[in-house]
Amino acid sequence: MLRLWPLRQVAKVQNVLGGLTQIATKSTQPAPAPELVEVFIDDKQVFVEPGTTVLQACAVAGVEIPRFCYHDRLSIAGNCRMCLVEVERSPKPVASCAMPVMKGMKVKTDSPMTRKAREGVMEFLLMNHPLDCPICDQGGECDLQDQSMAFGSDRSRFTDNAFTGKRAVEDKNIGPLIKTIMTRCIQCTRCIRFASEIAGVDDLGTSGRGTDMQVGTYVEKMFKSELSGNVIDLCPVGALTSKPYAFTARPWEIRKVESIDVMDAVGSNIVVGMRTNEVMRVLPRVNEDINEEWISDKTRFAYDGLKRQRLTTPFINVDGQLVPTDWETAFVKVAEKVKKVDPKLIAGVAGSTADAEAMVCLKDMINRLGGELLCTEDSFPLNRSGIDFRSNYIFNTTIGGIEQADVVLLIGTNPRLEAPLINARIRKTWIHSEVCVGVLGAPVDLSYEYQYLGDSFIVLKDLAAGTHPMCKALASANKPMIILGTDCLQGTENGVIYNAVKDIAERLRKNLKHKDWKIFNLLQKNASQVGALDLGYQPGVSGLKALQAELIFLLGADAGTVSKDKINPSSSVIYIGHHGDYGAQIADVVLPAAAYTEKDAIYVNTEGRVQLARQAVNPPGMARHDWKIIRALSEILGVALPYDKLADVRARLGEISPTFDQPGQVNESGFEAQAYQLQTEIKDPIVNVNTAISPTMLKLKDFYMTDPISRASLTMAKCIQACKESEKNPYSKQEAKA
Amino acid sequence: MLSSVRKQLLSSAVKRYFHASVLACSDKSFVHRDTPENNSNVPFDFTPENKKRCELIISNYPKGHEAAACIPLLDLAQRQNDNWLPISAMHKVAEILKMPRMRVYEVATFYTMFNREPVGKYFVQICTTTPCILNGVGSDAILEAIKQNLGIDVGHTTKDKMFTLAEVECLGACVNAPMVQINDDYYEDLTVDDINRILNDLKAGKKPKPGPQSGQNGRFASEPKNGLTSLTEPPRGPGFGVRPDL
Amino acid sequence: MATNRLVQQGVKQVKPLLSLDRTEARRRVLNLYKAWYRQIPYTVNAFYIPVTVKQGREKLRELFMKNKHVTDIRAIDMLVIKGQMDLVETANIWKQRNHVMMFFKDTVNPKPTDFLSKFYEGND
Repeated sequence: MLRLWPLRQVAKVQNVLGGLTQIATKSTQPAPAPELVEVFIDDKQVFVEPGTTVLQACAVAGVEIPRFCYHDRLSIAGNCRMCLVEVERSPKPVASCAMPVMKGMKVKTDSPMTRKAREGVMEFLLMNHPLDCPICDQGGECDLQDQSMAFGSDRSRFTDNAFTGKRAVEDKNIGPLIKTIMTRCIQCTRCIRFASEIAGVDDLGTSGRGTDMQVGTYVEKMFKSELSGNVIDLCPVGALTSKPYAFTARPWEIRKVESIDVMDAVGSNIVVGMRTNEVMRVLPRVNEDINEEWISDKTRFAYDGLKRQRLTTPFINVDGQLVPTDWETAFVKVAEKVKKVDPKLIAGVAGSTADAEAMVCLKDMINRLGGELLCTEDSFPLNRSGIDFRSNYIFNTTIGGIEQADVVLLIGTNPRLEAPLINARIRKTWIHSEVCVGVLGAPVDLSYEYQYLGDSFIVLKDLAAGTHPMCKALASANKPMIILGTDCLQGTENGVIYNAVKDIAERLRKNLKHKDWKIFNLLQKNASQVGALDLGYQPGVSGLKALQAELIFLLGADAGTVSKDKINPSSSVIYIGHHGDYGAQIADVVLPAAAYTEKDAIYVNTEGRVQLARQAVNPPGMARHDWKIIRALSEILGVALPYDKLADVRARLGEISPTFDQPGQVNESGFEAQAYQLQTEIKDPIVNVNTAISPTMLKLKDFYMTDPISRASLTMAKCIQACKESEKNPYSKQEAKA
Repeated sequence: MLSSVRKQLLSSAVKRYFHASVLACSDKSFVHRDTPENNSNVPFDFTPENKKRCELIISNYPKGHEAAACIPLLDLAQRQNDNWLPISAMHKVAEILKMPRMRVYEVATFYTMFNREPVGKYFVQICTTTPCILNGVGSDAILEAIKQNLGIDVGHTTKDKMFTLAEVECLGACVNAPMVQINDDYYEDLTVDDINRILNDLKAGKKPKPGPQSGQNGRFASEPKNGLTSLTEPPRGPGFGVRPDL
Repeated sequence: MATNRLVQQGVKQVKPLLSLDRTEARRRVLNLYKAWYRQIPYTVNAFYIPVTVKQGREKLRELFMKNKHVTDIRAIDMLVIKGQMDLVETANIWKQRNHVMMFFKDTVNPKPTDFLSKFYEGND
């Protein structure tokens, strides 16, 4: 069910901000637990909550009902009729997905009536479904195929003796990611419901009726969403399939490796589909705490970037040219450079997709050499309690926790593009509860309604001082949330902005009813950032300039924050990474490393959740695992690191921070009060009050290319192209939101 | 011996029943294609009086459920725009009701009475459902007469953009079959002469009288052909049959 | 009885495999050597291996000399049995080329053991 309009309208008609407070103060006292209803599924007694559907009750009893249109996370449509079951004393079979349970209901899921009903529905569906399974990409993982095997008739009565052909529907062009073969569509409307409920883009719908009904966009336009790829997984047949994956592999040829995504800091759980040492596709893996069962398009489709622009051999810079070489020569070259410089002037920079193992190795090696400076590319205010307290730089509420929030304040962030799944959670919360969202930053399309507060620093100051009208709503909220983006923390005045946000959070925290509720959240953009800060890396590359570093190790640092002429023109750069991107261009020695699908690695997401990515394929050519490169290099440099095995490196990680020993968990970080105290001890420098607080990613086309992998991806380039084209399409114009 | 086996096989084959009907598909397209007369740049806006009507219609529905006014607004737009609904009109309705455009497209494509392509000044809809085929001279004869008269086939518009002919399902006037609907008027109890006269009148710019024509002796409405069989006596006054103590 | 058992324990004789004394064992070894020696020309020919008969016989001698320190009769017998089996497999061409070439393992590099060599190899 989409959020009811009246409540929103009412809130709007009344003084808007007054309305917000009203909503926020509404009591959210839990209703008394309702009595359980007793139902019998195939004579097995189960107790379920009233309002549960028959299908869910069957699931509780361990009986899976076949279905096409029903999906746990979408609203109920009840139009495929595949879930028909017999209910005692009901004259007709009942669509179990839409039927709420009643007291003493006796459901028969395998009676002759049920079986006949299923067989009939199956026959109708297959009558209008082409028999092109051999050339269909869904073949082998198709719900229609599976269910016709399990529940369909063993012979066909369909004889086209008038030779009129089956129903045929024209294919739609809805962008470079989703291939549509609409003749295969069985009109379950899952994609339509996904688009309007989860993605918040009402682009898909049905046109026509009866035999002529078809799913599509009616006008020709792109399905413009950052979550669009999920309709491919939702489609129970082969009507919506992946365009880049088309005709490349069959599901039974693919080996599935469970891994973690690094395209953003959410750390979505993914399954990497691998065949013959090649990543064929990326699919989501269910994790209720993080990505539920969705992933963003960048996560799903940027994998072709893993095959392009790869570094497969070490390079050394000879007279301005990068010349391919072997490992020994490259290592000797690095050793020469290290010998030449003052060890104190050696520094390291970790890029956005660096894994924890490599980062700890790099840190240990540079420390052993005598260098002190290790930093990440993303900046963060350091002159206060900074990274001393973990709660300062992680997403404390946790992603699952968003669902409990009643007021969300987004500052300088565009979660829809920076962390699409966090945005999807906020939208889910917005639909299912009375959450009120305020945005300080750019007036971007977030797929839900929000109160726009402006983008100036003055507003933030007002909020911090408690004089802004929004403060009332925040103060009266039971579980307020503040999400601060990292884009606005890149400038010199980041400390002031950060402090102001902390002021708001601290004032709310003091008056909080739920003492264990966390208010302050930092939404990181880089998958490596939290891990790096946990390991003691300094955020931001400003230290390099202050140090005048002579030798800089780049660990996949490709954001372009490091450049020789800005830091020290005479400095040398050693690049350890997997793509020939910005970092490799400025490097004197390039050491080829593994991308995230090619190594067993630990990543820490923005919540501070440690997750293990598993190796799906081997690094290409002479590329090696990042931590091994550093370990081998350390031996050449005479400061051999005391670990030879991955387990030893992980033990070392555990020594530094015990969180690394608890994969999959979020460790609550406390000490907000202390962190705040430390912060207020230093006076803020005076900054320009007109500073705009704005995220850098504003439109969908900014979303697709953010890291070396997605920059190398052809699919992502096509997406950007399609986005640009759709700007010219009169039918793709932004519509007025209800 | 062999022939008997074959016979058996054949008889068992006969028992299988076939799906033999041809798929009945609409002659309309359910995907929008830009044409010179129908694209998003075609200007459409409600006239001032229709705007007032829109507000009135919207005010019929509770606050927050403005989308319920979608069908009446589309109808209003169609009436304003020569009996057809350009895509820009759908966009306008979506804008007024703050609905996603796709939701308006869904409504407009679902209902066959919304014409999404230009139609002639007179939109002739002939009912060819069973009662109309059977009753009177039958809709087949009427349809043939219209085709002859206008020189067009079903689904076509005359060159002068005066008439569009459409074959439709039951319009609910079975008792006065056969019938056609021309714009908002029903012409019932038709004979071939009647329909020719009606079409010629329309061509001449005259407005023929709607309602029952000569087919059933020019009856007033849907009364029996040979006079009333019931309710023949004059109507009783108030209080008839009421208990005296009330 | 008890003394008998005690005596048995004290001078316990192991059960022989084939040979009862050293002379017999020696004879078996020599017989095996001769059989192999005579088989080598056929082996070199049949398997079409890049080894001359002379090299083959040198290898044969080398492999026999590798075990010259063995004095236990049972151990000698077991080696003879294994050698016999190898011979049968070779003579009947149950083996394949590479199995025969396994005797000449000089070209196989030892697997790296330290981290750096493993790193250069790229297999770990």
